[in-house]
Order: sequence, then structure tokens, then C-alpha cells
Amino acid sequence: MTAVVEVGHLTKRFNEVTAVDDVSFAVAEQEFFTLLGSSGCGKTTTLRCVAGLERADAGRIGIGGETVFDAAQGLDVGSERRAIGMVFQSYAVWPHMSVFDNIAYPLRIRRQPREAIRRRVDDVLAILDMAALGRRMPSQLSGGQQQRVALGRALAMNPKVLLLDEPLSNLDAKLRETMRAELKLIQKETGLPILYVTHDQTEALAMSDRIAVMANGVIHQLAPPDAIYRRPATRFVLDFVGAVNYLPCTLEAVLEDALVLRLAEGARLRVPKPPHVPTTSAHELAVRPEDIVLGPPGEGRPAATVTLKSFVGTGFDYRLRLGEVELRVQAPKTAAFAEGEHVGIAITEALLLDARQRGDAARVGP
Amino acid sequence: MLPPAPSFGRVMSRSRLVERLADHRFVLLVALALFVAITVVYPLFQVGVRSFLVQGEWSLANYRAVFLQPRNLEAVWNSLWVSVIATLLATVIGTVAAFLVQRTDLPAKTLFRVLLVLPFAIPPLFSAMGWVQLAGPVGLFSQWWREVFGVASVPWTIYGPGGIIFVLAVTNYPFVFITVAGALQRIDPSLEEAARTSGVGTWRIMRDVTLPLVRPAIYGGALLAFVSSIDNFGIPAVLGLRAQFYVLTTRIYEALTIPNMPLATAMSVLLIGVAVIAMVGFRFAEGNRSQYAVIGGKSVTPNLIRLGRMRPLVTGALALVVLVVVVMPLFALVLTSFLRFWGADLTLANLTLRHYEAVLGAAGAQRGIRNSLFLAAAAATILMIVTVLISYLHMKAKVRGAGLLDTIGIIPFALPGSVIGVAMILAWSNPVVGPTLYGTIWILLIAYIMRYMAFGLQTTRATLAQIHDSLEEAAHTAGASKLRALKDITLPLLRPGMVAGWMLIFISAFNELTVSVLIWTSGSETIGVWIFLLQDSGFTGRASALAVLTLPVILILYLATQWLARLEERRVAGKGT
Ligand SMILES: Nc1ncnc2c1ncn2[C@@H]1O[C@H](COP(=O)(O)OP(=O)(O)O)[C@@H](O)[C@H]1O
Ligand SMILES: [Mg+2]
Repeated sequence: MTAVVEVGHLTKRFNEVTAVDDVSFAVAEQEFFTLLGSSGCGKTTTLRCVAGLERADAGRIGIGGETVFDAAQGLDVGSERRAIGMVFQSYAVWPHMSVFDNIAYPLRIRRQPREAIRRRVDDVLAILDMAALGRRMPSQLSGGQQQRVALGRALAMNPKVLLLDEPLSNLDAKLRETMRAELKLIQKETGLPILYVTHDQTEALAMSDRIAVMANGVIHQLAPPDAIYRRPATRFVLDFVGAVNYLPCTLEAVLEDALVLRLAEGARLRVPKPPHVPTTSAHELAVRPEDIVLGPPGEGRPAATVTLKSFVGTGFDYRLRLGEVELRVQAPKTAAFAEGEHVGIAITEALLLDARQRGDAARVGP
Repeated sequence: MLPPAPSFGRVMSRSRLVERLADHRFVLLVALALFVAITVVYPLFQVGVRSFLVQGEWSLANYRAVFLQPRNLEAVWNSLWVSVIATLLATVIGTVAAFLVQRTDLPAKTLFRVLLVLPFAIPPLFSAMGWVQLAGPVGLFSQWWREVFGVASVPWTIYGPGGIIFVLAVTNYPFVFITVAGALQRIDPSLEEAARTSGVGTWRIMRDVTLPLVRPAIYGGALLAFVSSIDNFGIPAVLGLRAQFYVLTTRIYEALTIPNMPLATAMSVLLIGVAVIAMVGFRFAEGNRSQYAVIGGKSVTPNLIRLGRMRPLVTGALALVVLVVVVMPLFALVLTSFLRFWGADLTLANLTLRHYEAVLGAAGAQRGIRNSLFLAAAAATILMIVTVLISYLHMKAKVRGAGLLDTIGIIPFALPGSVIGVAMILAWSNPVVGPTLYGTIWILLIAYIMRYMAFGLQTTRATLAQIHDSLEEAAHTAGASKLRALKDITLPLLRPGMVAGWMLIFISAFNELTVSVLIWTSGSETIGVWIFLLQDSGFTGRASALAVLTLPVILILYLATQWLARLEERRVAGKGT
């Protein structure tokens, strides 16, 4: 697979702030690639550098096999000549043009024949399920429809890559889910590679082929969603993507496929062997809420107390107290316990961390 | 885990467009800086420096001369107290009218609003003339009073401070009306509803919640009314000169007819001082109350107060005020323009067109009309182009230095017109470099440009601020060059704001008198100057006829701006979010 977008050692500073710090990644053909991170971590700046709207201080950018930016050579191809399609967080639908004119604009700029433009816009409108709305002005559209117009405009001229900056963040929850599915379908249909920016980890996990998790302008991990979720590279990724419980413990024995741990409050716990066992004097167990199974207490299944129980439709969300530690557990509907009840916990998957290595950048994996 | 270092393919041919555009921007910035230097900085510099020069030596003698003459000190004092009282009066009228129109179930609101704002578009000189014709010694109202009460003379005089204060107040209240009505419209109704749900009555809410919220707007409008009062020449000239009652603007006019340039210059600086002190005073009185951020940009339907049984009474009272304050002076002007002589009985035999024939036949008046139309159109057009470029470089292209131009361009807004007039004479009667513009129409053009630059900057800045950067960026990513994006996206979106700004400048320049009366020369008369000269020399009928001739231009443009604003409001409202 060849790369459609290649970013190498990209760095961008705003006065004192280093918004993007030596970032490298490549987006493959037909790939859905996501930059994920909390607000202010440099996602938008990275995307704008790729789009040519921001000029980086160092690094190189290639699109479709051609170098469009190279700080060392002083090369910076204008945004209008990068053959990209971009959807802005604010949609940026031109309010003085009809839906049709908005989508036709990139084609008119390229001086395509009138008839070809009409056909192409009609096609795009059909893909977006907006065939009847071509005459409308943007002020007569809902947020979701404006969003689609922005997408259609970006699709219209068959760009080499689609750049999307938090396109769903201004929609309500229901619409967001619909648009999520639609976006994936449109990508399947068109086969366009997508470089996607979001701060919403659920969205990133659900949609992406690969995710680059960013913090403070640095990529912490670049991997497929399940690897990001199950094999986080740093404490930041572990914390940021999904919920996690931390249990201070000491390592008692390393068996062939399991570890025996002693928890801080004294109980002994047996967990499946994680991919990496750090050599340290103080350990910490990291467990996702859905990887804790509740049952009757017993040997190797320490007892915890249910402090809070809430029904969330797909099951129950429990808060448990285990010694000093509060645990969050996601259990199926069949596992019903009452508040105040003692339950035994078993763990199906966990990571073992070095308790002395703290801070966002501390490595979690091997 | 980092991906393998990307491999890069063929290098795209290097684009020189970016560089060239960057150069263009720089060239443009320099050109704009030169423009601002010539029209604003250099004239101001002249006023500042020349007032301290006596025969080439640094000296305070000019200021000493001002202070040694009690007449001059008196003028400073008169300017201050007359403007303060007129402003208080204008603030009361404007605020009450705004509350009635905006927050009660008054009928015919649109008509009231249009009529109430109308004095904004009418030159103050016209109001002064209209009021002389109504309440002067042989005015319509005075005649009626004498007949009804059978007295030989009326118990008031329009000439003097009382008349000046009254006419200043009824011409300047729209500043307060517009700002307060705007604030009332944007107030978040949930703030009032919160008070209502805690069981507070309507009038209490108005007093305890609404009034404090719009107080910054009241102060803001009052400040504008004050600056406009201090600045005014037409009203104290028509109503004060005859009574030997001088304010700074009329005193400067007098000093320039002698002419005593150093004295006029020193008094201009004093006038700046008075304006600045007043503004600081306002800021002080306002305190930090304007920090409230509860007035959002959204316009919402507010809770209306039901006037109930008071409704006909309140409506009648407001209608009467509008009739007396807005309609009557204009009516008097029209009537006088058709009367054989001012004060003649209202009989058919006394009606005539001879004043119109006289003014339309006079070469000077014809020149005045031509000059004013040309100057207003030229100033508005040049200013809109220049200020759009400055605002664009400042706000969108973020070119360093453009912000400074913007700041400098706003300064003349705070300067009384007399200062601008004096600055123009100093700068352009015997300039160090360049042609002598004094004695030509071009000095007026530069003066109008200086005076109204802030209008252009403010409208273009406000409009550009509403155009999100991403709209233009979206055009770049869609394949449009920087210039193409400017043409296809930004300019069309700017157009309504630019047209509104153009009309605002055109009306203001067309009505201008304070500056024009100081720097006009034979051949470069403006219509306002000509009307003032006719009025000043006792040709009341001709002055009125000429004034009536300009009214259609003013009224049509004024109604067009109102219509445009309404259109714009609807466009924004249609957006929904
Ligand atoms: N135009 C700018 N000027 C100055 N600082 C900026 C600018 N744009 C972004 N930044 C800063 O760069 C950092 C990254 O911003 P951004 O890329 O917008 O983050 P994200 O999109 O991940 O929320 C932030 O600290 C932000 O304040
Ligand atoms: Mg962002």
C-alpha cells in the first residue's frame, strides 16, 4: 500500500507554544486515519498544515506522492493546488450561495463544462441524500444538512484526500451517530482516504482504521483502534482512551499464563498474564471497567462492596469499594447486585504498570 | 511507535504566487499608510505643533492670548455647560422613547422608530432654521401665541443659550435612542423572567433589572450626543451669533474670519481638551459597570409591558412629541420656502416660487449642490475602498502595522470638526511639500475623509468580524487563489456592510457644516455653507428653499439605509443558530 498523505517530522510553533512537535505519520490509500487528542493538543494545527492553511516551521508533507511542503527547501505549495477536500468544524458553508453553488464552486474554479458540473453536483447530492435541496440557501438548512453540504463541497472534485476537523462535534447525539455511519458508508462508496480529527475517543475507535493519539503536540501512539485500547503505549493513552481502574499491588508470583498479585488491602488476586511485566518494586494494575467480572467472593476473588448502582440500558454501571480503592465496573444485565452487597471480583484482562513511572509520557507497554 | 520515515516523490514546481502576494500586501500597506499620513497624521501634527509656535519660536503666547481674553474663556465655559444640559435632556428623551418603542405594546412601532431616528439624518442647521421659523420673533408658533393671548411679545426667545440647548437636545437624542433601543433588543429575556418568577412586578423589574443592564448603552449614547453637541456649529451659529452668545466652535469661526490663525489654532487645542476631559468624565461616571456581558448578540422577542388604559394617552403624547420635534421644523422650512417673505401671513397671495427660482438661478448655489454631491460621493467611495483594505489587512490577512493604521484612523472621530477645519488650513494652505490645496475643493475632500474615516473603519471591521476565517479558507482548499477567494467569498459577504457604510458617510458628508464653513472658498462652496450664508445674511426664504431641495436626497438615502438594515437583520435572523 502506498501512502496518500505523508507527514514527516512536522513542527509548528506559535510564539512560545509548540503546537505540533516533530509529528510523523502516513495515511494509506482508502484508509480512515484519525488524529485523536484532547482540546489544544495540536490536531487542528496538524490538519491545517496538511491543508496548506498553516505554514509549518520544520518538516515535510507529501500528498499523492508529491511533496507539497518542505521547510528545508522553502517549498510550500498553496492550499488551492494541493487537491484536497476539507470540512471545517464550523462547516464554513458560504451563506450567499445556494447548496448547488456551494458544491459546484470547486468545479467552477477548475473551469469544468457546465453540463459536467451539473451532473457531478447531482451525483454528490444523491450520495448525500439531499437531491431535493439544491436550490436552498444555507440559512434554510439544519445543522446536519449544512454539515452535509460542507462534505459534498469537499467531495465534489474528487480530492486525493478528505480532511475533516471535528465535523460531528456541533451535532446533537442522535444525529452524530447517524452521520458517523453515513460518513463510513460514503468513504466505502468513494474509496477516498480520510484524515480525521476528533477529541471524541468513542468516535475515533468506532470509525478509524488507525489512530494517532496526540498530547501536547506529540504523537503518543499510532495503531489500530483495538491496539490503542488494549495495548496503550503510554499512561496518557491508557487514561485518555476509555475508562480505567488503578489497583496498587505487589507481584507475588509469575505463572505460565497468569500473575498472582497481593493488593494493598491484603487480598490476593489472580489475573491473566499481561503482555508486559515491568521489573520494579511497586506495581499498579490497570483494568478497564468491562474487564472486571462480578460473582460470589472466594479464593483469588477479593470481596468488594457495592456503593452505587446505575442502570445504563446495556447493563449496570457499578461503583465498588475495595479497601481504599474505588472501582468502576461495567456489568451485563444479568449481573444484578444490590447496593451494600459484598461481591467477589475476577479480572479477565489487565495491564501491569510500574507504579513509580508516572506522568503522561510514562511508557506502559514493553 | 513511529511510522517509518515517509518517502517523498517528485517535487511540485515551486509556486511564486505566495511570495508575490506577500509583496503586494506590503506595497498595499505602505500605500495605505501614506494615505492615512496625508489625511490624518500630518494635519493633526500641524495643529499640535503650530499652536506652540510664534514667528518660528516655541512659545505659549498663543495660549496666553486665549486666556487673556475673557470672551474666549467664556466660550469654553459656554460650550461645556450648554452641551452638558443639552445632553442630559437628549438622554432623557432618547431613553424614554427607546423604552416605549422597544418594551411596551405601543402601536405603529415601525413608524415611530423611523420618525424618531429621522433627526439623525437632518442637518442640525436645518433644525435651527426650522425652530427660528417656529419660535423666533415672527415664527408661526410665536404668532399664534400672540394672537391667542393678545400679548405684544412672547415670553421666550429662541436666540441665546436656552434655544441652543433645546435645539441641540432635539437633534441629538437619536444617538441615545439608537444605542438604548439596540441594547434593549439584545437583552436576554431570561434575566427579566428570573426576576418575574421571584415575584417581582413589571415596573420593579424595569427599574431593578432592565435599567441597570442598559445603563452602559445609555452612557454610550449620551457620550455620542455630548460629542455631537460640542462639535456643532450650525445651531449656535444661527441661534447664538445674533444674541452675542458664543461657544468654542463659533468663536473659532470668528477668529478665522478676522483671520487670527494662531488664536484659532490654540482654541482648537482647547476644544480637543474639553472633548477629552468630557470623555474621561463619562468613563469615570460609567465606572466598570459596562463590564456586564449579559447582552448577547441574539435578538429575541422581549416581554412587552402592557400600557393598558394608558395606551392611548402614551401614544398620543409620543405622537405629539414626534410631531413637534421632528415634523414641525421640517414643515416650517417647507412653508417658509414658499412664502413671499418670512413672517408673511399665510394667504394664497403670499405663496410664491421666487425663492426657488432665485437659488436655482444663482451660480453659487448650483455649484454648492454639485460640489456637495461630488464631495459626499467621492469621500464615501474612497473611504469605503481604503477602510475595507485596512480592515482586511488588519483582521484577515493579519499584516502587522495594519492595526496601527486602524487605530490612527479612528482618532478623528473624537475630534470636534472645528479642529479638523483648522488642521486642514494649517496643513494645506502653505504646505511644506505638495500643492496648496487651500482654495480648492480638494481640501474639503481630504477634510471629509479625515472626519469620516472612523465610520468606514467601524462598519468594515464589524462586518469582517462576522465573516469567519474558515469561509475564505474553505475557498482556498476548494482550489481558489487568495484573490479569487477574496472576490468570490469575502467581497460579496462584505457588500451589505459596505453599502450601509457608504450611505452613512454620504449622508454625514452631505450634511457637513462645521468643517466646511471654516475651509470653503469661492468656487468650493458646499450646499450647507451656502444655506448657512443665505440664512446668516437674512435670506431666510432662499435658505429654506435650498434646504428643502436637499431634503429628498437625504430622506431617500436615509430610508434606503433603514431598509438595508432591516434586510440585513432578516438575513442574519434567517440563519437560525
Ligand atoms: N493561530 C494561533 N495562534 C497562536 N496559538 C495558536 C494558534 N492556533 C493554535 N494555537 C495554539 O496551538 C495549540 C494547538 O492548537 P490546536 O491545533 O487548535 O489544538 P486542537 O485542534 O487539538 O484542539 C494550542 O495551545 C493553541 O492555543
Ligand atoms: Mg481543533
